[in-house]
Parts: sequence; C-alpha cells; structure tokens
Amino acid sequence: MKAVFRLARLSFVAALREKETLFWFVLFPLLLLSILTLVFGQLGQEGKMNFRVALADLDRGPSGRGQFAAVVEEVFLSLSVPPGPGKEPLFTVRQPAPGEDERQFILEQTEAVRLGRVAVLIVIPEGFSAAALAALSGSGPPALLGVYGSRGDAASGMAATIVDQVAARLNRELLTVAGLYRSEEATAVRTEWVGDTGAPVAYVDFLLPGMVLMGFFVAGLFSVSGTILFSRDMKILRRYWVTPLRVLQYFGGFSLGYLAMCVLQFALLVLVGRFGFGASVTFAQPLAVVYLVLGAVTFLALGFLVASLAKTAQSGMAIANLVNMPVMFLSGLFFPVASLPLFLRVIVLVSPLNYVAEGLRFSLGTGQLTVPLTLTLLVPLGWIGLSVLVVVRRLRWDVAR
Amino acid sequence: MKAFRELLWTQARVFLRDKIALFFTLFFPVVFILIFGFVWGGAEGPGMVTLGVFIVGEPDPVLDEVLSSQAGVSVQTYNDVARLEEDIARRKVGLGLVWDGRTLLFLQDPTRVQEGNALAQAARGIAAEIDLRRQGLTPVVAVERVNVGRALGGGWFSMVVPGIMAFSALFSGLLAVSGRITQMKERGLLDRLLVTPMSSTALLVSIATVRLVVGFISTSITLGLAAVLFRVEFDVNWGLYTVFVLAATLGSMGLGTVIALLVRRPGSASTVASIAAQIMLFLSGVYFPVEIMPAFLRALSAAFPLTYMVEGMRYVTGVADLSPTRFALITAGLLVVGFGLFPVLSRYVVSVGRR
Amino acid sequence: MVDKRGPLLAVRDLRKSYGSVQAVDGVSFAVSRGSVFTLLGPNGAGKTTTLEILEGIREADSGEIEMLGNRVRRVTPAMKQRMGVLLQEGGFEPYLKVREILHLFASFFERSRPVDDVLAEVSLEDKAGALVRHLSGGQRQRLALGAALVNDPDLVFLDEPTTGLDPQARRNIWAIVERLKEGGKTVVLTTHYMEEAEALSDDVCIMDHGRVIAHGTPRELTAQLGQDTWIEFDTPDLEPEAWTGFPGEAQRDGSTTTVRTPDLVQTLDSLLRWSREKGVPLRNMTVRQPNLEDVFLSLTGRRLRE
Repeated sequence: MKAVFRLARLSFVAALREKETLFWFVLFPLLLLSILTLVFGQLGQEGKMNFRVALADLDRGPSGRGQFAAVVEEVFLSLSVPPGPGKEPLFTVRQPAPGEDERQFILEQTEAVRLGRVAVLIVIPEGFSAAALAALSGSGPPALLGVYGSRGDAASGMAATIVDQVAARLNRELLTVAGLYRSEEATAVRTEWVGDTGAPVAYVDFLLPGMVLMGFFVAGLFSVSGTILFSRDMKILRRYWVTPLRVLQYFGGFSLGYLAMCVLQFALLVLVGRFGFGASVTFAQPLAVVYLVLGAVTFLALGFLVASLAKTAQSGMAIANLVNMPVMFLSGLFFPVASLPLFLRVIVLVSPLNYVAEGLRFSLGTGQLTVPLTLTLLVPLGWIGLSVLVVVRRLRWDVAR
Repeated sequence: MKAFRELLWTQARVFLRDKIALFFTLFFPVVFILIFGFVWGGAEGPGMVTLGVFIVGEPDPVLDEVLSSQAGVSVQTYNDVARLEEDIARRKVGLGLVWDGRTLLFLQDPTRVQEGNALAQAARGIAAEIDLRRQGLTPVVAVERVNVGRALGGGWFSMVVPGIMAFSALFSGLLAVSGRITQMKERGLLDRLLVTPMSSTALLVSIATVRLVVGFISTSITLGLAAVLFRVEFDVNWGLYTVFVLAATLGSMGLGTVIALLVRRPGSASTVASIAAQIMLFLSGVYFPVEIMPAFLRALSAAFPLTYMVEGMRYVTGVADLSPTRFALITAGLLVVGFGLFPVLSRYVVSVGRR
Repeated sequence: MVDKRGPLLAVRDLRKSYGSVQAVDGVSFAVSRGSVFTLLGPNGAGKTTTLEILEGIREADSGEIEMLGNRVRRVTPAMKQRMGVLLQEGGFEPYLKVREILHLFASFFERSRPVDDVLAEVSLEDKAGALVRHLSGGQRQRLALGAALVNDPDLVFLDEPTTGLDPQARRNIWAIVERLKEGGKTVVLTTHYMEEAEALSDDVCIMDHGRVIAHGTPRELTAQLGQDTWIEFDTPDLEPEAWTGFPGEAQRDGSTTTVRTPDLVQTLDSLLRWSREKGVPLRNMTVRQPNLEDVFLSLTGRRLRE
C-alpha cells in the first residue's frame, strides 16, 4: 500500500510540475468558466452590452419637430445614458451633427450598417407624428418606425430586437398618456417556473457543474491516456516491472493521482465560481457527490480505454482529440443540443458525459432530466464496464519488443 | 531547384504524418462544421421559440391573431396543462402559455439557462401585444425592418463558417512556425539541414508553401461542406479569397514567429500557440457578436488578429459586407506581418538560441 | 530449499526464439556468490535477452533457472525483492526529482535503504533535488543504478551499464561495481566492451549468436591463446601484392594489422626488415599480451565491436 500511495502522490506532483498539464487541466477550465460567465451570464443585463446605433429624425414639419417623433427620439437617447457608474449604456447613439443634412446622414449610416460598423439605423420618417396621431385616434394604421439592419449580422439582429421591445414599451406609454390605455385593466401576466426549482437558475450555477465535469473529462481523456502511453513508450514502466511492483499497484496509485487532480480542479472551479461569480449551487449533497465520483471514475476508465487502443503516444493523442471534439460539443455544456440528425444524436445518446452532466445538474436542482434517472447511472457504468473489459484484454504495459 | 522540390515533398510528407497537426488543420474545421451545421444549420439562428398554448375555456380570437403574427414563434396547442408542463421539462417546448381569459400565465423551465433570455423576451413581446389588443387598442408605433445587408440567407451559421475558416488558416500558420519549425530546431534537424548547401530561406519557403496549400485546401473544404451539406449560400470572390487565405496564413506564420521568439522552450511554443488560437477563436466574434461582451473583453477582441481575419473571410465569401478600404488594410496588414517577420524568422532558425 | 553453498544463480539450457531467430540457444552457466560475472559479446549475441529472462521481464521457451535458492522457470515477484536490476534502456518520470525517484522505488520493496545512503553511493547527493529531465546521460545512469540498489539486493543485474557514457562516467560506474563486490554482492553484467570485462570480472562468459562459446576467468580465457605475443600496427592502404614476403600470419582489419607470434624477437626483426625493404611505414606499433578481444576474434573470426 505504501507503494500505491507514494505512486499516487508522485504522479499528482509530477503532473502539476508539467506546465502543459497545469494549463489545460487546471487553468483552462477556470478560464472557460470565467469567459463564458462574463459573456453569457450577464446577457440582457443592464450595463454590459453596447450597440452602436444611428438615429435620424425626418419628421420636421414647418411647425417644428413632431411631438411623437420627439418622444421617440428621447426614448432612444435615454438608452444611451449609462445606467450607473462603471456601466455601459445599451446604445451608443449617433445622430446627425447640427446643420448636417439628414438625408445625407441616412445614406452614410445605411452604408455603415451594411459594413457592420453600426448595428441598426433608426429612421423616424416624415409624417410620423401625424400618422401616430391618427393611429392613436383609431383612424389609421400604426406609424412605422424604420429600422435598417443587416440580416445575418447577429449584433444587428439583437439591436433590432431591442428596438422592438422599446417600441412595445413606447406604445403603452403613448396610449397611457393619451388616456386610452387603462393600466388598471392591464392583462395580468405571471411567469411560473416548471419543475421543483421554483426560481430561475443563474447562468453560473448552470455552467459550473458542466465545467467541473469537463475538467474531469479532458483530464481523463488526455492526461490519463497520455501519461500511460508516454510512460510505456519511454520505458518508464519497464523500470517498474523489474521490481516487485505489481501492475495492479501501479494502476491503483496512478488512478488515485488522477482522482487527486479531479479534486483540485473541482476545488478551484468551485472557489472561483462561488467567490468570483457568485455561484450558489452546493455540491455537498449525497446524489451530487455520487455523480461527481461517477464522472471521475468513468473518465478515468475512458482514459485507460484510449491507452489500450493506441499503439503509440502520438496515435493515442490523435484518438483523444478525435473523441474529444464531438463529445464536448454535443455534451450540451456550451449550447443546447435538441433536434439533431440521427448520426449526431447517436453520439448524444451514447456519450457518458451527457448522462453524468444531466444527473449532476438534476441532483443540484439546476437541471431537468430528459432521460430516466437510472440511465444517467447505467450508461456511465456501462462505459466503465466496457473499458475494464478492453483494458484487461488489450492494454499492454510494456513496449512490444 | 531540384533540391527545393525535394524539400517541398519532404515537408509535405512530414506534415501528413504528424497526426496532430493534420487533425487540427484539416479535420477539426470539418468536424466543427459538421457538428455546428447539424445543430444550427439552415435555421435563422438560435431564435425559434416553440410555444405551447393551453386555453381554459373558449378559444380566443385575439390570442390567435397575436400569436400568428409573431415571427420567430411556432405554436402548439395543448389540451392538458400537465402534458404541457411535462413537455416543457422534456424540452420539447420552450415556453408555455396558459390563458384563462384574464391572466396570461407563462410557464418556463428555469434550468434552461442558455435560452432563458430569449424565451423571456418572447413572452414579454406576446404579453405586450395581447395587453393592447384586449383593450381594443392597436399599437401606435410599429417597427418596419429593412434589410440593407446581403440578401443571402443562412443566418447565424453562415457567419460562423467563415469564422472557422479563418481559424483554420490561423492555426495552420501558427503551427508552421511555433510547431514544426521549433520542433525541427529542438530535434537538431535544422542544424543538420543548414550545414548542407540548403539555404534557410529555401527551407522556410518550402514549409510555408506546404502550409499555404494545406490552409487553402482546408478552408475550401470547410466552405464546400457548408455549401453542399447545409445549403449555406456563399458568394465567393475567388480571386480575393485566394489572396486573403494566403495573407491570413502568412500573417499567422508571422505571429507564430513572435510566439516562437518569446517562448523560451521550443516544446512549449506549440502549446502556447494552440492556447492562444483557441482563446482567440472564442472571443473574436465568431460564435457571438462582440457587442454582448463586457467592455474589457471587447477591447481584448479588438487586439486579436483573428477578429480581423474573420471579418475579411466573411467578406470574401460573400456573407457580410466590408468597406474595400478596410479589407485592403486588413489584407495588407497580414501580409506585412507575414513577410516582415520572415527575415527575423530566418535569423531565428539559424540562431544559437537553443535550449 | 535454500542451498547456501551453491551458486547464487545458475542457468541450465536456456532457450528463447523469435520466429526463426534463435536469440538464446541453450545457454548454461553458474554464478558464484559474491563474484562479478560478465556476459561478453557483440550486439545481437543474446546477452540482453538472457538477462531479461533472468530479470523476469521476458519468458524463456525452455530451460531452468536456479536463483536465490529457488528453482523456477519464471522469476517471481518474491524473488525480485532481493534483486536489483539496471535495464539497458529505460526512462524515469521526467518531472520527478532524483530523491523522489529513489523514494518511490524504495516503496516497491519490503526492505530498503535510506535514500541518502543510496545517493551517496552513486554520487548524486548534490543532484538530489534536480528534476530527471535536467540530468545528463551519466547522471541518469547513476540514478538508474541507485534505483537498482535501493533495496540492498543480494543479486544485481547490470545490462550494458556504461554504453554511451564518457570515460569519466564509465570509471564512476566501475568504481561502484567494485564497491558492490567488496560489499559481498553478486553482480551479473553484460557488456560488449572488452576492457570492462577484463577490469571488473571474476568470471566471463563469451556469447555469440545465442550460444556460450567460452567460459572462464579473463586470465584463463586469454591463456587459451597460449604464450603467443601480439604485435599490432597501422599501415596505409596497400595493394595485396605488396604483402608478399610478409613474415608470419596476420589478420587485417581496415588499416590495422595484428600479427600473432610465439617468438617476439624474431618476428619483430623480420617485420622491420620487410618494412624497410618494401618501404612500408609501420605506425602506432603495440606489442602486447592477448586480450579478450583476441579470444573472441580467434573463436569467431570477427571483432567484438563491428
């Protein structure tokens, strides 16, 4: 047993001394967690997004600016004011300079939208206020606000959607001011949360379990298989086999070292998640622990499986890369994977990462189960079983001579 | 010349045998496109919301009208709330709506965090419309969207494809230097080759040529796959495309040189390069617009060469527009970085700065 | 049953083949307790294969091994407790320190020595905290030797311990082997360096093509070549006709000629006269007693080092 623990400790220490390992298996998950949370965790929140928008008002009659046009303009301008210290406004609004020809401005900005320099151009057309008045009194269709965007440009699409929302709010405001909209008769709206959670799940709480499992996964797939293959190819293992050390002891020590790495990843991710991004999910529940351990052991087994299938370290890494990509992308950790063609769905159905991730999220209350609970346990266990079979038969602990 | 041709073939063969390099430059983009294509391809982007409706009592014509006018929402009717909730939990339906004539009750799955925002927006939009209509009111202001961009369809996915192509060129160029060349240096192959009459320039040019060819092939395969398999419409300007791919690969080689010079140990250079490339890929506006990133990440993105390579690639494949001046500037910039660092690279290759 | 008076290691009719190649073809020998036993032979002679069978990482097709009082076909883990093995080639985890490596290997055995003692023995005290990847070739070999000695073994196997090392490193290893012998250990080593076999061994087994072709102490083996003296010299390349009138039998290897003679003075005299007559200069002339290289040459017609 002394040998097993010493092997565990030293393989853990050696892995951390290697800068590559340190980066990919410890720092990278942290980096990914941070970037994803920073970008997506605050989506829609105030003060984080900013779109460049151009605004032109053509509704200037001989009697000056139309009333409605002025209101609309003010609403958009108010969105260009920072909502608080250190926050960014939603829109950075460009308007024609005093004395500048409006139509010329529109031409220029249309071009700017086309080239992607401006997200949308909002044009209050001539006669807008008159049309609005007519619409208000029920004698005409809604006044049209022109929004010039670039189809296919995601930023443009998002900005246009925001303008839609502004228009909806605007409508209610205008109708209320005109005394036509009775807020006391507003249709009641309520949102209820389906499932046991009872409250919306924060993005970081959704992401964190996935990141933890991703860390285990890449450590198992790459580090485990890579180290075994490298140690075998470099005849590091052969030096062990001339001593009384048994294969099982080496296996045990090595696996413990990997589990120590998993614990380290987990600890760091939870620390950063909680204190850096305010994650509130607690892993200290029996079922969650079960899934964490199951995940770690499954990916350890996968690492050994890859090592059994590869002849050299290089081909092992190639296999690992080949497997890593589809499994990671289709794991549902980064984007939802709903309707897929059959051959991709197979990957989703078979990948142990998906099952453990779902089970873990369910146990933490941040996810619903789309498959029966037993499957979330059985599929990973099945992979462990398969790996054991293959490893026992095929894994060579010494280089062929 | 014969020696150069020999060298060229050797470099090509070595590249083909290096499974990792081969994977990342040829297969990675392909697999990527396949996966992303099947998940997102053809759709207008992650925007379609499925709405499950359950009406208590009589059907409501106002509701029907509002719902049918909502673009981006597809409606399914339910006769049973429990079924609706189940389907929401099972992710068959994104949003649920229960209408009893007085209260609009929206049902959402709180664990669908990634789409939560979009779903909430859709709910708000529907609620606002219904609210007005029920008071017999019609909107005063309506939005008319006008598209001034390219008329091609394809949506979000068609913007991603050029991004992957740009990444492919970047990776290929980066690894040519920080991978292959530093590897040769480490193994003493460089020294051995350089005591022959072979000039370092010839060696570099042969490596560059292989990479350029590979880069071109892989970006074109990616393009072809997207067009054929997922019917993404491209409008490729082949002349500019060729020039741009070359410029991008060359520029990336220049960057690879910088990395190789900065990173002391030859073995780590390729790691640093792949790390840099992958981080860049994430933050360069390929998957999502930079506008939604916090300010400092946005600033970071503006410093990444990949961001500009993606812009240029989108332009030459006809997916997005770019001012010709800007395109010229980007291309020129990449070429300058590539060619400009070449002499530096030669000196590095010959230098004594080994381990 | 342990036979305290018998050899510590004996091998009987060991055989191992790979396909059509008979790597070990009926090898038998015995190693006395406390002696240094050498398997000498050119590359491909089967020395390493034989040793690997004895180390337990290769299985013989047939034959018997008697080691540490046990008669077996295959070496058992229990026997490995008292063995120390230096492999011909092998690696260490590059990101571990020297001290950690020895500490690790020590944990594989029931009994082990303090790591500091081993470090001192192989002169790696000042490198105790260095990572394996920063060690030179010679230092790595000493580390490997340390790992082989960490359990204070009774029987030590050293497979080509000094191949590829510079002369100073080689002398370091030789000194360690001498100390092992003084400490009463039994050492089995393989080499293709004649000087090593002569300097270290009590007993030498010359192997070629999987067979033992000679066995004895270095002195016994060279004595087989009689009282003859060897004269060796270098000449520039000459036409075969120029060799007419050459006094005595010679073997030529490139530009080096070796003449074997029972009568030194007479042969030397004739040689010098021939050299003057033919105008052939004789350079780097050495007059010496036969060595193991000559033994091998006389037995096989080939040199130990190709």
